[in-house]
This record gives sequence, C-alpha cells and structure tokens, in this order.
Amino acid sequence: MIKPAIRSAGLSKTYGTVTALAGLDLEIAPGEVVGYLGPNGAGKTTTIRLLLGLARPTAGRAEIFGMDCQRRMADAHRHLAYVPGEASLWPSLTGAETLHLLGRVGGRIDPGYRDELIDRFAFDPSRKVRAYSKGNRQKLLLIGALMTRAELLVLDEPTSGFDPLMEKEFQRSVLEAREQGQAVFLSSHILSEVEAVCDRVAILREGRLVEVGTLSEMRHLSTLTVEAVFDGAPPDLAGVPGVRRAAIQGRTVHLQVHGSIQPLVKALAGSGVRQFLSREPSLEELFLAHYGPEGTAA
Amino acid sequence: MTDTARGSDRPIPSAPPPDGIGAPAGTARQVPVAARRRHGAVIGALVLRRAGRSGALWGLIFGAFVAAQLLAYAATYRTQSARDGLAGAYGNNAGLDALLGQARAINTTAGYAEWRLLGVLSIVGAIWGLLTSTRLIRGDEESGRSDLLLCGPTTRRRAAGQAMAGLAGGLMALFALTATGMALAGRSHAIGLSVQRSLFFSATLVASAALFLAVGALTSQLASTRRHAAALAGTIFGVAFAVRMTADSDARLSWLIWMSPLGWIERIRALTDPDPLALLAVVALVAVLGGAAAYLAGARDVGAASLPARTASRPRPRLLGGPAGLGLRLTRATAIGWLSGVTALSVLMGSLARGSTQDVTGSVGIRASVGRLGGNGGLVDVYLGLAFLVVALVITLVAAGQMTAIRDEEAQGRLENLLARPVGRGSWLAGRLGLCVLLVVISGVVAGLGTWAGAALQHSGVSLGTLLLAGLNAAPPALFLVGLGAIVFGAWPRRTSAVIYSYLAWSFLVEFFGAIVRTDHWIMDTSIIFHMVPAPAAGPDWASVAVIAGLGAAGAVAGVALFRRRDLAAA
Repeated sequence: MIKPAIRSAGLSKTYGTVTALAGLDLEIAPGEVVGYLGPNGAGKTTTIRLLLGLARPTAGRAEIFGMDCQRRMADAHRHLAYVPGEASLWPSLTGAETLHLLGRVGGRIDPGYRDELIDRFAFDPSRKVRAYSKGNRQKLLLIGALMTRAELLVLDEPTSGFDPLMEKEFQRSVLEAREQGQAVFLSSHILSEVEAVCDRVAILREGRLVEVGTLSEMRHLSTLTVEAVFDGAPPDLAGVPGVRRAAIQGRTVHLQVHGSIQPLVKALAGSGVRQFLSREPSLEELFLAHYGPEGTAA
Repeated sequence: MTDTARGSDRPIPSAPPPDGIGAPAGTARQVPVAARRRHGAVIGALVLRRAGRSGALWGLIFGAFVAAQLLAYAATYRTQSARDGLAGAYGNNAGLDALLGQARAINTTAGYAEWRLLGVLSIVGAIWGLLTSTRLIRGDEESGRSDLLLCGPTTRRRAAGQAMAGLAGGLMALFALTATGMALAGRSHAIGLSVQRSLFFSATLVASAALFLAVGALTSQLASTRRHAAALAGTIFGVAFAVRMTADSDARLSWLIWMSPLGWIERIRALTDPDPLALLAVVALVAVLGGAAAYLAGARDVGAASLPARTASRPRPRLLGGPAGLGLRLTRATAIGWLSGVTALSVLMGSLARGSTQDVTGSVGIRASVGRLGGNGGLVDVYLGLAFLVVALVITLVAAGQMTAIRDEEAQGRLENLLARPVGRGSWLAGRLGLCVLLVVISGVVAGLGTWAGAALQHSGVSLGTLLLAGLNAAPPALFLVGLGAIVFGAWPRRTSAVIYSYLAWSFLVEFFGAIVRTDHWIMDTSIIFHMVPAPAAGPDWASVAVIAGLGAAGAVAGVALFRRRDLAAA
C-alpha cells in the first residue's frame, strides 16, 4: 500500500488564547502538487512547522509517508526537503559551502542536478551569504532543497523575491519534480504560480480549511463571470436564480452566476442578446471570493 | 519646492504620526510635523530609548555597588588603625595594582574609593560601552533596520551624529544613577564626601564607558558586522588594559600609563590628587573618536564597512560535514579570540607572581583573603590562587558567549535549516554543549600553561603540573553556567542571554563585595565562583569539583530533554 506523502488528522495548534490551526484534515498523495493558500496569519506556516516537527501540535497528529511527524521526526525528514519562508542562513559561509553542508546533513544529493540548477537559476555560489540579495538567498535554499530530489518538497513561499525569469525556472523545476513522482506542498501568495503548477488547492482561513479540491472542482462550485450585450435596453435580470451583482452599462450587462447557468439562459432567450461571453473565475477571483470584502460570495 | 524644503511652519508630514495609527478610515488627519528638523531626532530618540534603558539598568547596579562598597568600608574599618592595617595588607601589592590599578592612600575613604571602585567599574563600564554602541549602531545597520530611518530627510553623517547623541544620553543615565549612589553614600557621616567631589569622581567612574562607547561607534564604521565591530573594540580594550596593567605592575614602567587611555582615567585621581590634564585627554579622545565615526559614516555606503570586507572566497568544506563540524566552524574565530585573551591574561599574571609577593607584609592580607576561601601555602601560591579566581570569571564569560550563540542560531531561524533535515534536536544541542565544554576545558588548560610560562620567565619555581591542575580547577564554575544556561534555553529560550548575564553580573558584584566585607553570609554562596577552591593555594578539592561539574552536566541533560519537548522559538 502506498502511504500518503502527508496526512494530518485533527491537527491543531493554539498559542495561548489564539488558535493558529484548528483541526486540519489533509491528505496529499505521492507525486501530487498541492497549493496551500490563505491570507497572512491564516496558519500556513504553523501547519508547515507542525509537519516538520519544529512545533508540537496542541491536538491531532500528522504523518509524512506514514511516519509520525513528532515521534519519528528524523526518519520523516529523510524523505523531505524544506524551503523556509525566511532565508536565514549562516552569513559567514559561502553559497557553495552552504550547499555542501545542507547536502551532507540531508544525507543525499544529485550532484549533476545541483550543478544544473545552479546554472539555470544563474546562481553564483562563490559569494558569502551575507553578500547575497534576498532573492539570491532564496535561490540558494531552493537549490539546496531541489538537489536532494526528496520524495516530498515542503515549500513555504519559496519565490518571494524572485524576478519573472526565475519564477519561470521555479515553475519548471516543480513540474519536473512532479514528473519524477515527487510530491510538492507549496504555500504561496503568487496565485498565478499555484494555478500553473498545482493539481489541487487547499484554502485556509483563520486556522480552518475552508476549501480543498482541484481547480476545476472549485470553479464548478464557484461563480461564472458573464458579460452580455443586448440590441435594445437590457432586461432586469436581478431576480433570476443564481445571478449576483448584475451591473448595467448602456446596453451591456456584467453579472456573476453561482451554480447552474440554466435559469439565466432561459431568462435571456428572446430578449435580443447580441453577444454573450462567459468566463471561469481565475484563482485570484476564487481567492478573493473567499477573502474579499464580500467574502461570503461562494 | 515643497513646504518642507522651505522650512515652513506647516510642512507636509513625511509619515503618518503615531497618533494617526488606528484612526477610523477616511479620517486621515494631516498633523503637521516639522519633518526636516525632527527626523534626525527620531534616530537619536530611538537610540536614546534603548541605550537609556540599558544605561539606567547598569547605572542602578553601579550606584548600588558604589554605595555598598563605601558603606561597607566605613562600617568594617571604623578606626584609623584598621584602615592602616588594610593599607598594609593591600597597599603594596604589585599583582593587585596591576589588576585594579595603583593603590594610593587606601587608608583614607577617598583613596580606597578610587582604588577599589575605579578598577572594577572601569572594566565593566568599558565592556558595557563597546557592546552597547556596536549593538545599536552596527547591529541595526547589519539587520537593515537603519535603512528605514536613513530614507528620511537626513544624511548619513547627521544620522550617525544623532545616534551618538542617543548613546551619550545612555551614558548620562549611567552617570546620573552612579552619581546618585555615590552622593548618597558620600553624604553619610562616616564617609563625608562633598556632593561636588562625588559628582566629579562619578564622572571618572563612567569615563571608560564613555571611551568605549566612542570606540564602539568607530569600530562600527570599520567592520561590516556587529560581531566584528565588537571583537575589534574588545581587542582595543584588551590592549589598553594590558598596557595599563603592565604600567601599574612595576614602577620602572610607570611611564607606560600615558600609552593607555585606561591609564589616563586612572590618572584623573578625582578624589586624591586631581589631574585636569588626564581628564582633558579622555574628553578629547572621546570627541576625536566620535568625530572620526561621524566622518566615516558619511564617507561610506550604508551597510558597507570602511575596512575592506571579503564577499567571496574559495569553498572550504572540510568541517561542513554535519552539525558538529558546523558548530566548530562557527565557533572557531570566537574561540581563537577568547583563547588568545586567556593566554595573554594568564602569562601576564604568571609573570607578576614573583614581584607581587616580594613584600611579605603586603601579602599577609591577601593570604587572609585567600584563606577565607580555604587556601593556604606559599606566598606565590596564594597570589596565584587569587589570579586563577580571575581566570575562572573570564572562562565563565567564554561559556556565556557560547550559550548566547546557541540561542542565536535558533532565534535567527538558521537552526531550522538543520532540524528540517534528519538531524535530531537532542544530538544538535548536545553537540553544541559539548563544544562549549571543550572550549571551557581548553581555556582552563591554556590558563594553566600561560601562567606557568609567565611564572617560568620570572623563575618563580612553580611546577607545570600544579598550574595545569589549577587551570583545570578554574573550569567547573563555567561548566555549572553551561548547565544553568541549558536549562533556561530548554525552558525559557527567549530569556537565555538575560538570565546568564544577570547571574554573571551578580556573581561578579558579590565576589568583589565579598572580597572586602568579611562575611560568611549566605549571599556569598550564590556566587558562581565562591565554591571554587583557590588552587594552587590549596590542592584542588576534586569532590567539590565533581559536584559542581556534575550539577552542570545534570543541567545540560535536563536542558536537552526540555529542548526536545518544546516548539522552536524565534527571536
């Protein structure tokens, strides 16, 4: 039986009276790329720290490939590589020395792939860490994680500080990892990045998982953006089931449809529609639907 | 041009004022702030706030120490003959003179105060000064915090000037509280010092703090990291102290006193024989150092250093095979620095052994004082017993620095890079504690060897074996501190540094307090080195060594167990 790369059951963490994470149930299969989204302070980093055993859960438990994250921490760590959100490294070591150290501590690396990554990310390993920019320190940590080819990559906002070229390289590396059968747990605020590489998305809000599924599933459950242009004055569509936020501009109507589009299509029949455009929401719109000022839209 | 640039009374605010924070949306009040005039003061105020807090804390300690020492002197040595006896015991001892400065007329309150207080507080003040200024100037720049402030309407030079003004405020806090303690004690009938003289003397007590605040401000311009800046300033202090020590150890070398600014401070002699020239020299040096720091701050890039810093190097991965090797690599430079310091100190003290004990009458008092700790034996042994107490205190500082470094790895987030890989928490901490113990033991051995080398140069006839054992005997207090530090690190990680250094400061004060007030009070038992047998004046008591080291080991084990059971804690 293949064990899930990550499995958590009722994983919770409270700091004093603050609940950072409440009863997280999540399962990630080997070879799967999962995006982990949520506004600042939603509990994303807390989840990662619990998975890595850097913090201890208040309740619940988590496993990496069937190994308990607390009791078999070192064993679990043999199967994963981690990129922290804050690039804190030893300032007196050079990039090459840091990679050497991280490789030796991690226990295994693919030297050929490491050299390829250094090349692709245009990284100069001869400089001391204190002389690197934020983006370069982030690259160093990312190369340090990718070069292990670990079965699970845990990435906490790994591309903050990357330029668009490097962002592209990052996405390519994640897709390569998936081809190799590696699982990726990617916490990120860059929604286009998550949209481009992730099989599934989990959305966290105030320590609770509010949404998890593939993008198409989520889109199905979510709203459709519709733009319709009429020959004459547009009809009143506000009462049609599922229609929200209808806005009229001359002969054009902008609206959103939640659920089935059938009632709207029926209402439009015979009303002189000249042009009809419908579009699935982007991840950004899905995300904003959960967290925006009208956060109850979905 | 904006209103601000024309210096109008109602300039456009450069940032929302604090009282605007949290105001309801849509009510953005424009509160006029004289941005141009006040921005520089923001930097000064920020430094002042932190330096002032630290200065006030140490001022309280200084003030209490000064008052306690003076009142204890007056209470213990009531009669002139008792004071003459004290002068006979301590007054002609080259070794003590070298450590604390020349004793002059210590059968008077004024002479005693000068000798006893100035020697100790000059050392503590200098270390406070150099740590405070390198932390607040280079530390903030290294972390990038100062960039935020330098983006405001100010120049680098003006900002540096403001930061130094803030440090001066911290110094004033130190001075004010020290002077309060001094003046209150001075008013007592038994001591009888005028407020004026108390104030003047208090100024000399904090002169070394002023000097090394300025030295730290300058080295903060020269080095690119706080650590390098502090190490550079520490080296300058070490050299100045060694020169002053040498000058005070032998009358033929007394001209050397003018070669060290710490010697100038000694020469001010505010209470017995004021020398305005020496005071002027100190003030002038502080001004020159501060001016040089401000000049260099304007002449370099923010974040860069005036001395060239290497930003690239050939990889040297030899030690980087695992957490233990990494620990060794990270500790190496600091360890070499400390061991050089311990070597220099011990060679110096060893070479003074013979000269210090020539005067038999002078040594009777020391013998009594060492006897109180359980030591007896030949005069040279008695002197060396006292010297190794100083070594023991220095080695506890080595250990304290290591414990702070361990906590820093966690606080700065670097440790996560190891612990997210297959590295056990217990083995990581045990490795770092082991390294710390190794450094402590090596320091003890080096102290023994150095003292022997120094003593052999003067043909003092003390055997190498005896001194090696005495050196090792100086290690247990530091091992105890490692254990204490490990427990605090395991249970209250954010308090590690504060607890360790507060305990050391306490022990330091208790030791110097106890050296003069003959007491068996239980308070004495709380000092970290009070339970140490003053070898070689007495044979090392291996049973008590085992108990103290054992307590340290038990603390380390408990600390590791606690650390394994808690969350990692950021700064």
